[in-house]
Amino acid sequence: VDDPPERARPSAYAWTALYVALTTAAAWSARTLVALPDLVALYLLVIMLVAVRYGRGPSALAAALSVIAYDWFFIEPLYTFAVHDQRNLLTFAIMFAVGLVISELVRRVRLHERAARAALLRARTEEIRSSLLTTVSHDLRTPLAAIAGAGSTLREHAAELDEAARRELCDTVCQEADRLERLVVNLLDMTRLSAGALPLRREWVPIDEVVGSAVGRVEGRLGARPLRVEVPGELPLVSLDPVLVEHALVNLLENALRHTPPGTEVALTASAAEGGVAIEVADRGPGVPEPSEPLFDKFVRGPGASAQGAGLGLAIARGVARAHGGEVVALNRADGGACFRMTLPLGGLPPRLAEPPQPGARP
Amino acid sequence: MSSVPPLVLLVEDDPSMRRFLRASLGAHAFRLVEAGTAREARTLAPSHNPELVLLDLGLPDGDGVELVRELRGWSRAPIIVLSARTDEADKVGALDAGADDYLTKPFSTNELLARIRVALRRAAERGAPAEQVILIDTLRIDLGRREVSRDGQPVHLTPIEFRILQLLARNLGRLLTHRQILAEVWGPGAGHEAHNVRVHMASLRRKIERDPARPQLLVTEAGVGYRLRDGGAAG
Repeated sequence: VDDPPERARPSAYAWTALYVALTTAAAWSARTLVALPDLVALYLLVIMLVAVRYGRGPSALAAALSVIAYDWFFIEPLYTFAVHDQRNLLTFAIMFAVGLVISELVRRVRLHERAARAALLRARTEEIRSSLLTTVSHDLRTPLAAIAGAGSTLREHAAELDEAARRELCDTVCQEADRLERLVVNLLDMTRLSAGALPLRREWVPIDEVVGSAVGRVEGRLGARPLRVEVPGELPLVSLDPVLVEHALVNLLENALRHTPPGTEVALTASAAEGGVAIEVADRGPGVPEPSEPLFDKFVRGPGASAQGAGLGLAIARGVARAHGGEVVALNRADGGACFRMTLPLGGLPPRLAEPPQPGARP
Repeated sequence: MSSVPPLVLLVEDDPSMRRFLRASLGAHAFRLVEAGTAREARTLAPSHNPELVLLDLGLPDGDGVELVRELRGWSRAPIIVLSARTDEADKVGALDAGADDYLTKPFSTNELLARIRVALRRAAERGAPAEQVILIDTLRIDLGRREVSRDGQPVHLTPIEFRILQLLARNLGRLLTHRQILAEVWGPGAGHEAHNVRVHMASLRRKIERDPARPQLLVTEAGVGYRLRDGGAAG
């Protein structure tokens, strides 16, 4: 049963009147079979049902109507409000009072129930928030600790270290700073995406351009890893925010590099799709678990993931795609490996191209 | 580089960034003047007349873009903007106002030095007769004859593609915004419709890049613009 609203609607009062009338009609037709005390119990039952269903106001009305109907139809002299036996007045009072008490009890139970539900929700939110905080603070602190440690060792013990050890500590500082930077970038993106306040700077962009700039961003981190990029030249222009879509693609590429064995191929392919374009980042790693949806939750790391990522990359990629009216899904390839497929709608009617005036007129 | 180390004006409010830049630039034979605020920069720039300006966009006392515009009013010294990542619009604003390049924080010393060298070399070449033939990797651009070849094979460009490539080649290594390219190639009356530039850039890339999906020469800076990468300054 749904909670009754704080203030009962007018229709609730109409239904209440109808229920009392129906009860009275039923009792009237069976009046020779039913004793008066049973009738009182019957009215109380109706009052209780109304209280549960419609709340306090209607149940008070039910109590009042019940007393009136009981008096009019069943108490001698019939069809008058006159009462010969004073004891009946007491019955009326008790009926009315019990009606009010029941409705008050029902209301209190409802309030408690609501408070309990709210408390449970709060507790759950609190639990999620604190686990997010733990993850974030761990992910931020680990590189910080490495940087602080390497830095202080270099400062305090430089004389005792050989050249190779000094070199290694310097590398640590640089690598961990890079890791921290990527994490901060992702946290900022995520915050902007979840705040829903992310203004899209849409422009008409050829897909090969945004793919090219995203690939350029990870090129330095590829090492010996083979990356195959296939973008047909005849894809349509798409209305998108080039900076955000580049971030999303970089995240998908980094995700593939991080979760698959070194030396295995990663492939990025773009193609025309229903109403837009599809960009797929496919790898030869262990594939994605079924169902794959939890991978897109914030701060969720896939199974077997190293501590490198914060579990934000996929959430951001999907957030960016959805902000464009698109989607990112994870699939398993038939011949092994995972494929993350981003679809983006064209986002409107492609613009006309302006030719410059008189080619060659300017030097 | 000349025997007198080039003088760099560093406008940056953060002491740690200043310390890092002082150490890195000092180690590579640059002289440094430091300003912590836009006000200080306005005083120091005319009195020292630096050969290059490193400018942080997020100054406590003023708009970095406005400062770029002021400096450009009287100085031709290259300006390299340092900025945090989240503000592509600011970068474009600074470039359109006359800055030569930007670096996103955090950046490595190598990236910084490469950008400084490109900027100083471009400044030194200014006024000298322009190179007529530019060679990048195996791409040969003959500006006088309006001919382009890759690996010795002629590349056929449309007039507009050639004009874009010519503009980028004359600004080798420098980042040009969509608006700058539109104004130069389409003329000052051109609108802000960057897709015109993008479409021609894509076809140009298909003609001169070895793998157009992984461009090595015509580099896109998402949301900002393009640069023709100088072989030596490859990041």
